[in-house]
Amino acid sequence: MNGARIHGIVLSGVGGQGVLSMAQIVLEALRRSGFHALQSEIHGMSQRGGSVHAQVCYADQPISSPLIDDGCADLLIALEPLEALRYVPMLRISGHLVVAEDPIADMEGYPPLEDVHAALRAVRGSHLLDTEALARKLAHKQAGGMALLGMASRFLPVAESLWQEVIAQRFAAKGEKVTAKNLEAFEAGRNLIGEGVGA
Amino acid sequence: MTQHTLALGVEAAAQAAFDAGIKGAFGYPGTPSTEGFEYAEALVKQDAGGGRVAHWAANEKVAYDLALGMSYAGHRSLVTMKHVGLNVAMDAYANSALTGVQGGLVLLVADDPGMHSSQNEQDSRRLAEFAWLPCLEPSTVQEAYDFTWRAFELSEALQVPVMLRLVTRLAHCRAPFQRRPTLAPTGVGLTPKTRVQDWVLIPSNARRRYVDLLAKQPRLREAAATLNRIAPGTGRRGVALAGLGRAYFGQLVLEHSELAALPRLEVAAYPVDPELEQAFLGQVDEVLVFEEDYPVLEERLGMRGRARVRGRLDGAVPRTGELSPRVLKDALGLATPEGKAAAGLELPVRAPRFCEGCGHVDAYEAIQEALRNVGAPEARVFGDIGCYTLAAQEPLAAIHAVVEMGASISMAVGAAFAGQTPSVAVIGDSTFAHSGLPALLTAAEARANVTVVVLDNRVVGMTGQQPSQALDQVERLVLGLGIPEADLQVLTPLPSRHGDNVAAMEAALRHAGPSVVVFRRECIQSLRRGVLKEHDREAREHAACPSCTPEVVR
Repeated sequence: MNGARIHGIVLSGVGGQGVLSMAQIVLEALRRSGFHALQSEIHGMSQRGGSVHAQVCYADQPISSPLIDDGCADLLIALEPLEALRYVPMLRISGHLVVAEDPIADMEGYPPLEDVHAALRAVRGSHLLDTEALARKLAHKQAGGMALLGMASRFLPVAESLWQEVIAQRFAAKGEKVTAKNLEAFEAGRNLIGEGVGA
Repeated sequence: MTQHTLALGVEAAAQAAFDAGIKGAFGYPGTPSTEGFEYAEALVKQDAGGGRVAHWAANEKVAYDLALGMSYAGHRSLVTMKHVGLNVAMDAYANSALTGVQGGLVLLVADDPGMHSSQNEQDSRRLAEFAWLPCLEPSTVQEAYDFTWRAFELSEALQVPVMLRLVTRLAHCRAPFQRRPTLAPTGVGLTPKTRVQDWVLIPSNARRRYVDLLAKQPRLREAAATLNRIAPGTGRRGVALAGLGRAYFGQLVLEHSELAALPRLEVAAYPVDPELEQAFLGQVDEVLVFEEDYPVLEERLGMRGRARVRGRLDGAVPRTGELSPRVLKDALGLATPEGKAAAGLELPVRAPRFCEGCGHVDAYEAIQEALRNVGAPEARVFGDIGCYTLAAQEPLAAIHAVVEMGASISMAVGAAFAGQTPSVAVIGDSTFAHSGLPALLTAAEARANVTVVVLDNRVVGMTGQQPSQALDQVERLVLGLGIPEADLQVLTPLPSRHGDNVAAMEAALRHAGPSVVVFRRECIQSLRRGVLKEHDREAREHAACPSCTPEVVR
């Protein structure tokens, strides 16, 4: 590597969990922060409860590749622990991983959850979130995703106010209450990771 | 006025078509092309009173002919489909090369290298070449927008349809792009009387038009040449890039500045000018070719015999599958940085599956139990394309052949002719409308001993729950094609109805001659989203209206 630095984010989960909409929030936040950014996603068959992932690339200069190579992602945001493990090799040695602990295990051959968690904890730079406990605490069933995004936000060069702006716009159509709940979840996640850890 | 818009590549192309003044957009859903039509449809809706239309068609051929008719009438039109959809529209596409166009006609076709959501990875560039038609191949979202504009201009200047070829990664790449001011759909007027014979492809006209089409080829190459270029470099080793090969290589140059010195042939439009190829090959002894799908450019360059051409044919690039930064790096001998190590856990594949509560599962369970009851638990069942294709996998393993849209019915008839009993086809309602209708007509006419199961979930489930063209029409279509009323049953696939459904299915299997069983329950995704709410409310109102009879309710 002797040239420009291009940053990559991988988002993963299971079809229906909201991976693609989270990727769009991240893309929009980076774009409004002045970066050249693009996002890649796969639609169709995989959205029916299969493994889903999206990628966001950003840089100071125009970029054109929709795909990130293995070992080139700076951040992995995973809504499901097994789907996190699948993409760990995409992370740079210095990369970070934020991941929901709660599994979607309605499939054959899902490894013992404690093994999955142990494998994730063994990854340097990993941050696990007990999404279920947080959802209970905030009395908000869907809090997990936004909280993960809050954690991830510590590793991205986007101002806190800009995140809030993008999230508020995203949920505007669903009313003030839903927006407030999601902003609260974002903040709760953001507060779980100390300031200045990331970029 | 310039505006920045954020959209998928396939949406940017649709936006460009709208801005370039199309009067209509047509298509049939198919990943990764679907969002293109949907984006155009949304723009047309917002532009109420603007005199434009957007309409899904029963299949890709119908969609293409709608666009061609609009062109004949003097207006610009966009038609969208996935790569295998172009096989269905191929008759129309290939022959429209001979008629030519009046209003600009752009075919947006989305290829799926790597088969993310398709049954093959055929290369639409080959079909453009086959039809002697130009093809533009963008590599970025901005190019998807710009090239669509260019495609309309070329289409009218050269009087031929122009293909815009996208691939999955670009179709589903979301990025900002800059727009041009929107043109109104003014049109260029009806095909003049002096040119009417061009559109009548009887042999005498067709012979003349084929000569005309071949005579246009130099102009097509000239037009393509404005988008293709040689970037000179140092050294005798070069790269030839097309489509996403350009995008991936362009970004690698940012990260590995030594690559900037490689001589480059950049191809964005076809047919490629042989002189450009010769000029490039004169600068290099060895060339690596990066293009999506088939070795189209690679074969052309290899034919010249002037340099060592490397790519998919010699294994420098994997023979199958899509390009990626890794594929380019490996071929160029660049190291891939070591990533984090994941613990050595076995990671099972998480395959797509039926949604919780999906009616297809109930239908398949009834079919399988009925097959056991008639003593044919091992019967081979012909399936088709849609969400219900998921039943090919364990644990259901309920269908044993899936080939192309509408194949299930005709294959079951063929197998019945070979002596297979029972011979069962399973097809979705939208696939039935797409290309099952002629097959069922043949089954009915031949009195073939088949049982055709229509899984009617009222929408095109897989691609995002677009309303099916056969919505509320399946029984009438079946009867109209010659299946007697007594041999048609309509069932509701619910666990609570399982016993009755098995009995009805059994009766159909035991019946000698063609029988049709419709399992109807709305897709739970579309139900949740309320896709048909408005339609059903209107239908109920019509049914209650004394001046409307239920027969005219659509």
